[in-house]
Amino acid sequence: MTDLAPDIGNRSKFTPKPDLPPPPNTTGVSGWLRYNLFNGVFNSILTALSIIAIFFMVKAFYEWAFVNAIWEASSRDECRISSTKIGTCWAGVNVWFTRFIYGRYADAEIWRINLAFIIFIIWMVPLWLPKITSKIFIGLSAVLIYPFLAGYMFLGGERGWFMEVMVALSLTCFLFVLIHSLLCLTTGLGLYGWIIKVSGFSKKNEHQHKYPVIGFTLLTVAVVAFLINDITFKYMSNNLWGGLFLTLVISGIAIASALPAGIILALGRRSKMAVIRVLCVAFIELFRSVPLITILFMATTMFPLFLPGGMVINKLASAIVAVCLFAAAYMAEVVRGGLQAIPKGQYEAAEAVGLTYWQATVLIVMPQALKFMIPNIVGNFMGLLKDTTLVSIIGLYDLLGMINAVSHDPKWIGLHHEPLFTAAVLFFIGCFAMSKYSQHLERSLGAGNNR
Amino acid sequence: MSLEAEKNTEQLKSAASDEVAIAMSKVNKWFGDFHVLKDIDLTVFKGERIVICGPSGSGKSTLIRCINRLEEHQNGDIIVNGTTLDSNLKNIHAIRSDVGMVFQSFNLFPHLTVLENCTLAPIWVKNFTKSEAEVTAMEYLERVKIPEQAAKYPGQLSGGQQQRVAIARSLCMNPQVMLFDEPTSALDPEMISEVLDVMFELAETGMTMLCVTHEMGFAKRVADRVIFMDFGEIVEQNTPEEFFENPKLDRTKLFLSQILSH
Ligand SMILES: Nc1ncnc2c1ncn2[C@@H]1O[C@H](COP(=O)(O)OP(=O)(O)O)[C@@H](O)[C@H]1O
Ligand SMILES: [Mg+2]
Repeated sequence: MTDLAPDIGNRSKFTPKPDLPPPPNTTGVSGWLRYNLFNGVFNSILTALSIIAIFFMVKAFYEWAFVNAIWEASSRDECRISSTKIGTCWAGVNVWFTRFIYGRYADAEIWRINLAFIIFIIWMVPLWLPKITSKIFIGLSAVLIYPFLAGYMFLGGERGWFMEVMVALSLTCFLFVLIHSLLCLTTGLGLYGWIIKVSGFSKKNEHQHKYPVIGFTLLTVAVVAFLINDITFKYMSNNLWGGLFLTLVISGIAIASALPAGIILALGRRSKMAVIRVLCVAFIELFRSVPLITILFMATTMFPLFLPGGMVINKLASAIVAVCLFAAAYMAEVVRGGLQAIPKGQYEAAEAVGLTYWQATVLIVMPQALKFMIPNIVGNFMGLLKDTTLVSIIGLYDLLGMINAVSHDPKWIGLHHEPLFTAAVLFFIGCFAMSKYSQHLERSLGAGNNR
Repeated sequence: MSLEAEKNTEQLKSAASDEVAIAMSKVNKWFGDFHVLKDIDLTVFKGERIVICGPSGSGKSTLIRCINRLEEHQNGDIIVNGTTLDSNLKNIHAIRSDVGMVFQSFNLFPHLTVLENCTLAPIWVKNFTKSEAEVTAMEYLERVKIPEQAAKYPGQLSGGQQQRVAIARSLCMNPQVMLFDEPTSALDPEMISEVLDVMFELAETGMTMLCVTHEMGFAKRVADRVIFMDFGEIVEQNTPEEFFENPKLDRTKLFLSQILSH
């Protein structure tokens, strides 16, 4: 008994023991090296061999890619002649690089593509700034309304009345997002608040606040439509589109449509109505069990057979539809996973306060489920971006298609490695950035997780 | 239990009117083959406070969840404030916005602040403007004594505070009837009384209340009627005095001895 009792006799007051430094060689760089790379003879040998192997690979690559590289040449033969060793012929990539990015789009019109992408980026930037309100509107307008503006800027040509209105609306939204963001940053009150304040509606009932806002929006759309009425862009048929630009158009549309379509399908799969449930399950299972390439071939070769005679559908359009359907089916499964993470009590509480099914879904269930789904959604988007390269097989000139085209160019015939390497780097940059961003999102949502 | 509260008890007992709030007749419900509710007949008057007790699995939760259609009964009639519960969605929504419910596991919306939890339904179901809803919400948050937590998220609150927010959230819809399904069972002992106090004050305002609870102190103090359920039936019902002093059936006696002995 006395042995077990702690000896507190001469320690009437508790004083913590001082923190001692850890034993040497367990921390820091040398500690890490010792522990991870050189603990034991066998491990040390492995480490040494690996270092040697890596050294030779890097050296070979470095010589191939840089030391023996030819940067300026007018054809592949010239590359061969000017170098005695095997080295890269970056000259080919150099000459073709604009084509890799924009396809056969006319050089003089390329600024339209660049401008459209810049507008998109500016449109999205406020979403990352903490002070800005109404982010839902900004995000939704970027996904739902921006495509009309971008579509017109890419395609050009005459605008029908519908496109006229949509382009004007789109420009108006962009203008509003800009003004709203500036107002939020400088005055702390958004555009909506300012319109109500300036129009003198602030004292009126909140239900009436929408009237000056709607009025102001319609007025702006009308003014913008009037201003752009005379401006038309040169028509650039979509078979001129190509390269990374086309890859981004296809995957962008697929990504933007996949989430809403996936949500609808996932909800349909849980529906109480048997017909809807069966249809959704059938759709999801069908598109998940068929390879994308098959769907692409079906869309471009078989589907036109079922169309009424004489009707031609655009190859790009059918490819986009195919990729979208494929993406929706996969996204539906991601959404289903997110929905399953929501406890039953949330549905019950939403029902008990009298919310309708759609209100409960939009206001309670989806915002929570989306949080769980973000890593999977981003993973899916990365997959989609890469899968889009399959459209090169059905004859569209996306990035991979353009890469193949180089090797068929008589001047650069057989030039495969350098362009492929370029494409790999471009895809890696895109996907790696997405992956890092998703990790960041996961961490920041995890930190701010309010459970 | 404060002294003043003790004094109020007598006048509380007479708050019930003879207007009917909820009328259930011959209600039956099955889960698959399992007969959970058997021929339930229950009339609740406006302002009446009813405590429902009984062993676990006896169908207490199912009974009160049938009242706002979280569970669907298969036959019999349930009439709430004059509206008959059937598959008509309009009736269901009307009844739900008139009947508040508090759950054992709180079920607050974790992605919304306390204030947003309270204003959501008034804004979307009752078409309140945001500022109207916020004024009402703050009133009720004061009633449950946590106005200072309005901007926090539910995850930042203790269990007792969360349950009080849940009560405020229901009250913001200005309900005619409040249903409580074991509101204190998931709480640490030191938090039970803060929730019971709020429920007691609510009872003082004349709210019609149906509480599934094993807090017998609460039942003695507040209830007009105590109902004992077993195997999906209402076995015995009486005023709390009679119920606790002179239980008629052996089954009730056994249950009471089990519940009061610890
Ligand atoms: N959704 C359900 N499906 C099948 N059985 C259920 C379901 N909900 C409850 N039950 C069963 O019904 C019985 C009564 O449940 P409940 O009303 O929750 O009892 P209590 O609240 O009195 O403990 C229990 O035996 C339970 O297992
Ligand atoms: Mg229960």
